[in-house]
Amino acid sequence: MSIPGAGLGKGLAVTLKTLVTPSTTQQYPDVAPELPPRSRGVIALREENCTVCMLCSRECPDWCIYIDSHKEEVVVPGAARPRQRNVLDRFDIDFSLCMYCGICIEVCPFDALYWSPEFEYAEYDIRDLMHDKDRLGEWMATVPPPPPHDPLGEPSKEETAVAKRASAS
Amino acid sequence: MTLQDVLLSVVGLVAVAGGVAVVTTKQLVRAGLWLVVALGAVAVEFLLLGAEFAAWVQVLIYVGAVVVLLLFAVMLTRAPIGRSSDLDRPALPATLVGAASGLGLAALFVGVFGQFQVPAPAVGTAERIGDSVFGAWVLPFEVLSILLLAALVGAIVLSRPAAPAPQDASADAVAQGSSR
Amino acid sequence: MTWDVILRVALVAVAFLTLPLIVGQTEHKVMAHMQARLGPMYAGAFHGWAQLIADGVKFAQKEDVTPRAADGPVFRLAPAVALLPYLLVLLVIPLGPGDLVGQQLDVGLFFVLAVVGVGVIAVLMAAWASANKYSLLGGLRAAAQLLGYELPFVLSAASVAMAAGTLSLPGIVAAWQPWWLLWQLPATIVFFVSGLAEIRRPPFDMPIADSELVFGYLTEYTGLRFAFFLLAEYVGIVVISALTAALFLGGWHGPWAESVGWLWMLLKTGAVAFVVIWLRVSWPRLREDQLQRLCWLVLVPLALAQLVLTAGVRVALG
Repeated sequence: MSIPGAGLGKGLAVTLKTLVTPSTTQQYPDVAPELPPRSRGVIALREENCTVCMLCSRECPDWCIYIDSHKEEVVVPGAARPRQRNVLDRFDIDFSLCMYCGICIEVCPFDALYWSPEFEYAEYDIRDLMHDKDRLGEWMATVPPPPPHDPLGEPSKEETAVAKRASAS
Repeated sequence: MTLQDVLLSVVGLVAVAGGVAVVTTKQLVRAGLWLVVALGAVAVEFLLLGAEFAAWVQVLIYVGAVVVLLLFAVMLTRAPIGRSSDLDRPALPATLVGAASGLGLAALFVGVFGQFQVPAPAVGTAERIGDSVFGAWVLPFEVLSILLLAALVGAIVLSRPAAPAPQDASADAVAQGSSR
Repeated sequence: MTWDVILRVALVAVAFLTLPLIVGQTEHKVMAHMQARLGPMYAGAFHGWAQLIADGVKFAQKEDVTPRAADGPVFRLAPAVALLPYLLVLLVIPLGPGDLVGQQLDVGLFFVLAVVGVGVIAVLMAAWASANKYSLLGGLRAAAQLLGYELPFVLSAASVAMAAGTLSLPGIVAAWQPWWLLWQLPATIVFFVSGLAEIRRPPFDMPIADSELVFGYLTEYTGLRFAFFLLAEYVGIVVISALTAALFLGGWHGPWAESVGWLWMLLKTGAVAFVVIWLRVSWPRLREDQLQRLCWLVLVPLALAQLVLTAGVRVALG
C-alpha cells in the first residue's frame, strides 16, 4: 500500500538532493577539461619512425590516410652495394573522414602513429581538416606517456626508459 | 463642480461610450472587450462614489468571470478577426428601445431626486455591507441564494448526458459499472 | 501627504522592477543546480548575476512583429493588460508592521482577488488576436483553467479573512497567530496550488505547454512584448508568494518583528517563491482533464471544508 503523493515527494527529494550536490560541469573554454587517459583526440605522427610500409593506409576503414614516397639510394660505407630507403613525401590524414577507430595506430609496426588528447582543431571549412605530416608531427609534443596498465603495478617500460634517459643526461 | 463630479462625468462618458461600442462594433470579440471597458468604468464610478466593496465585486464578478466566460464562449464559435458581415442587428428598433429606456430612466431619476441633496453615505466598507446584507436584507439575500442554488442544480441536471433507456435493472447496473 | 503617496508608489514600482528579476535569476540558478548544471555564468562576471539584464537588452533589440492576420490593437495591448494587474496588487501587500504598506485598503483582499482575476483577459486577448490556432487553443485552456481555479483561490482566501475577521491585508497579518499554520493548513495548500494555476506556472502550464501548443498564447509574440509577458509571469510569482506569505504564513511575524518585520516578510516570500521554482523543476505538467479534476474534485471541496472548519472554530472561540 503506497501513500498517495509519495511519488511527488520523491520527485522533490531528487531535485533537492541534486541542488545541494556540487555540479560536475566543467567550464570548458575557461578551464581545460580533465580528459580520461587514452583519450582519442587526434592522431600524431613521428615522421622518422615511418618506413612507408603503407599498412596504416591500407587498413584504414575509410581510406583517409594519403601517403606518397620516393626511393632514395643510401650509400652505406663498407657495404657491397647502396641500400634503398623509402623517403616520406606526403602523409596526410583527412580528419573529416577519420572515424577515430585507431586501427592505423594499432597496425603501425614501427610506432610512428600515436593518439594525442589534443582535440581543439575544428575548422570552418571541411577541406581544412586535411592535415599534413608537419601538422601531425606538431601534435607529437602533446602525446602523453602511456598510463600504467595496472595503477598499482610497476610503471610501463616507456616511462622507465624516459626516466632513465633523463637521469643519464 | 468638484473634482469628483468632473471625474464622475468623464468616467460615466467612458462607460456609455464603451457600451455604445459594444453594440455597434462589427467585430465579435472586440464587442466583448469593449464590455470590459464599460464594466470597468462602472467599477470606477462605484469607487468614486465611495462604494469600494461594490467596485471590487464588480471587477471580480463581471470583468473577471462573466466577460471571460462570454469571450470564452465567443471564441469557441467561429469568432473571426475583423468584421463579421453577417451580423444581423435590428438597428432601428434597438436604438428606439435603448434610447427610450435610457431617456425614460434619466427623466425618472431627475424628476424624483432632482431637487434633493442626498448626503453621501459613509464609505462602503465590507463591515457596513455585511451588516446590511445579513441584518436588514437577510430575507431577500437568502431567497436569492436559494434561487441561485436552484439554477445551479438545474444546470447540472440539464448538462447531464441523457440516461440510456432502461431495459432491465441488471443490464443498467452492468452498464453503469463498466462506465466507472 | 502627496509626497508620501508618491514615495510609496515609487517604492512599489522599484519592487515591481527588481523583485521579479531576482526571482527570475534565482530560477535560472536554482533550476540549473537542480538539474546538475551551473546555469548562467558569464553575464556580469560573478555567477551570471546580470543574465536577466542581458536578456532584457536582447529582447529590446529584437524586431517587434505583429502578424499580418492579427488584430493589431488588441494584440499590442495584451502585454500591458497582463502586466498591470500585478503592479496594482503589489500596492496593497503589507511589507511590515504598522504603516509599511503601499496603500492601506479596507477591502484589500477583495481588491487583490478581483485584480488578479483580470489577468485572464490579457491571455484571452493575446490568444485571440494572434490569429494562430495554437494561440487560440492555449487561450481556451487558460480561460477554462483560470475560471475553474478562481473558485478555490477565492474560497481559501475567504477562509483566512473569516478567521481574521477583516478583509484588509495588514489587518489579516496583524491578527495572525502561529497556531493558524495548523488551523489554516488546508486553505494554505489550496491557496498556493490554485495560485500556481492562476499564474500558469508548471505543473499548471497547459496554456503554454511548449511540447503540445508551440508556446500557447505567446506563440506570436516577439521582442519587448514577449518580455512583458515573461515579466508578468515573474511578477505573478512574486505576488502569489507574497500573498501566501502574508495571508497564511504570518507575513512580518517573527522574532524582533517590530524592527525587522519587513525582512521576515521578504524571507517568507522568498521561501515560497523557491517552492514555486522547485515544483516547476520536479513535477511534470498535468493533463487537461487531470487539471479540472484536481480543481473541482479536490481543491473546491477542500476549500469548502476549510470554510466550515474556520467558521466552527470562530464560533467556538466566540
